Amino acid sequence: MKVDLLQMVEYGGCSAKISPKQLEEILKYLPLPKDPNILVDIDTHDDAGVYRVNDDLALVLTTDFFPPVCSDPYEFGQIAAANSISDVYAMGGDPVLALNIMMFPAAKLPMEVYADIIKGGFDKATEAGVRIIGGHTIDDFPPKYGLAVVGYIHPEKIITNAGARPGDSLILTKPIGTGVILAGHRLEMVSDDDLAEAKRLMKLLNKSGAEVMKKHNIRGATDITGFGLAGHALKMAKASRVSLKINMKDVPLIGNSYKLIDEGCIPGASFRNLDYAEKDIDFASDLDYNLKMIAFDAQTSGGLLFSVSPDKMNQILKELHSAGLRNSNVIGSVTDPKVKYIYLNN
Amino acid sequence: MRIVDTKGQLCPAPLIAAKKALKETAAGDSFILLTDNRTSFDNLSRFLKDNKADFKVSESGGVWTLTITKTTGDAVQTKAEEYCTSAISHFEKGNYVVALTSDKMGDGDDELGHLLISNFIKALKDLNKLPLHMVFYNKGVTLAVKDSPVIEHIKDLEKMGVEIHLCATCVNYYKLENNVAVGTLSNMYSIAEIMASAGNVIRP
Repeated sequence: MKVDLLQMVEYGGCSAKISPKQLEEILKYLPLPKDPNILVDIDTHDDAGVYRVNDDLALVLTTDFFPPVCSDPYEFGQIAAANSISDVYAMGGDPVLALNIMMFPAAKLPMEVYADIIKGGFDKATEAGVRIIGGHTIDDFPPKYGLAVVGYIHPEKIITNAGARPGDSLILTKPIGTGVILAGHRLEMVSDDDLAEAKRLMKLLNKSGAEVMKKHNIRGATDITGFGLAGHALKMAKASRVSLKINMKDVPLIGNSYKLIDEGCIPGASFRNLDYAEKDIDFASDLDYNLKMIAFDAQTSGGLLFSVSPDKMNQILKELHSAGLRNSNVIGSVTDPKVKYIYLNN
Repeated sequence: MRIVDTKGQLCPAPLIAAKKALKETAAGDSFILLTDNRTSFDNLSRFLKDNKADFKVSESGGVWTLTITKTTGDAVQTKAEEYCTSAISHFEKGNYVVALTSDKMGDGDDELGHLLISNFIKALKDLNKLPLHMVFYNKGVTLAVKDSPVIEHIKDLEKMGVEIHLCATCVNYYKLENNVAVGTLSNMYSIAEIMASAGNVIRP
């Protein structure tokens, strides 16, 4: 039986995240544990928590799961796993262990679909060198899948949102537009090539990009997921106490994403993200509306955004290109804190 | 007045319908858009505001009726075509494979042969459609070493998304293991498979 997972969900992937605004409202009532071994927590809006075990080892902990982003169960498993593991890479860690998190409607779908999803997750985890050693399943509709991941990191080599320095350049390692492409795909507005490219990028581990970051001792990075490029850049700017200037025309886009947005294909998640972030963003008066909206497009398993000193910029770009991340580009720069955290230009 | 009914549709479908209708409406003219989804209504309101369209709203029984008037002011926007020509290239590939079997091109003078193969590899970068793969075997693998005169061009092609495969046996045979500067080492099965599934194999 051929099952089309996309028929089961209204919002897939990271577009299904709860609104960042609502989340912030709730989380502010949650006390943060005080412990000197907690090296990174939600305070810096970071991708994962980091806990020191001893002077040479800290653990990176993160979890992520979401409803289907594509029709094929195996591919969905691969994408969900790549997305879950990405937070460890964004912190500069080496992912090691994981647990499956699965919500699956056993009465509505054949169990082969379940098997295909976790096979996809297993294969992607294996590619990342991650051992899946258990998991948990709840009977629920629509299906949702992801991993809880543990990684190793040296306590002095953590890459956080708080590490962007004025004068640095910003590099993005994957093109954006997965939200637009997936929404357009449901409305049959997307070519097979563009869909294939979006899926390839979502399955692509951030491992190669992270290796380049680590080699060059990058200190400030995040991965671009559900809050969109502008939303994650904002978290970085706040945590680093700097402002970021982003030139949208330098941001690589997947296939015909621009054209889709121009036709009005703007997913609901983009408006949620805009609503959350706009008070902290300066929009250039001549900013192209479509480019503005794509800055808020929710990415599933998006690329790394990191801050590099300008003298290393060309070398790093070259290495990223050689590592197969051929769309990697310099998309902006870090400045001293100004009135707004983010300055969006054409 | 024209009525665009998006009831029962979820975002972004109502936005797409609104944008299409706006494009087809003359400045000063109006149309009506219906939606029965709260989120779609919110997003439409924001979208219309940003696109500088005037609109009035009435709601009854869970259906929002937006009477939208196109103004002369458009949202700031470049044309899609213009944007696509900006610096970020997405390199298109053709269904063909280039097989490099020698460090020379054609039969004749060696020096000329070396020059021609360099020019050929350089020219590949400018083709409208790049090869899917390049396979290097026998003396061809010597093109992919550190001090090869074309190494930068092959690296560029790799950056542009062309997969570079070197025959592992050949690399070992010519003792180039420590000098290879680009691509991945592949066994003969992979190389045969790549060539067998190509639309065309070009051997310069």
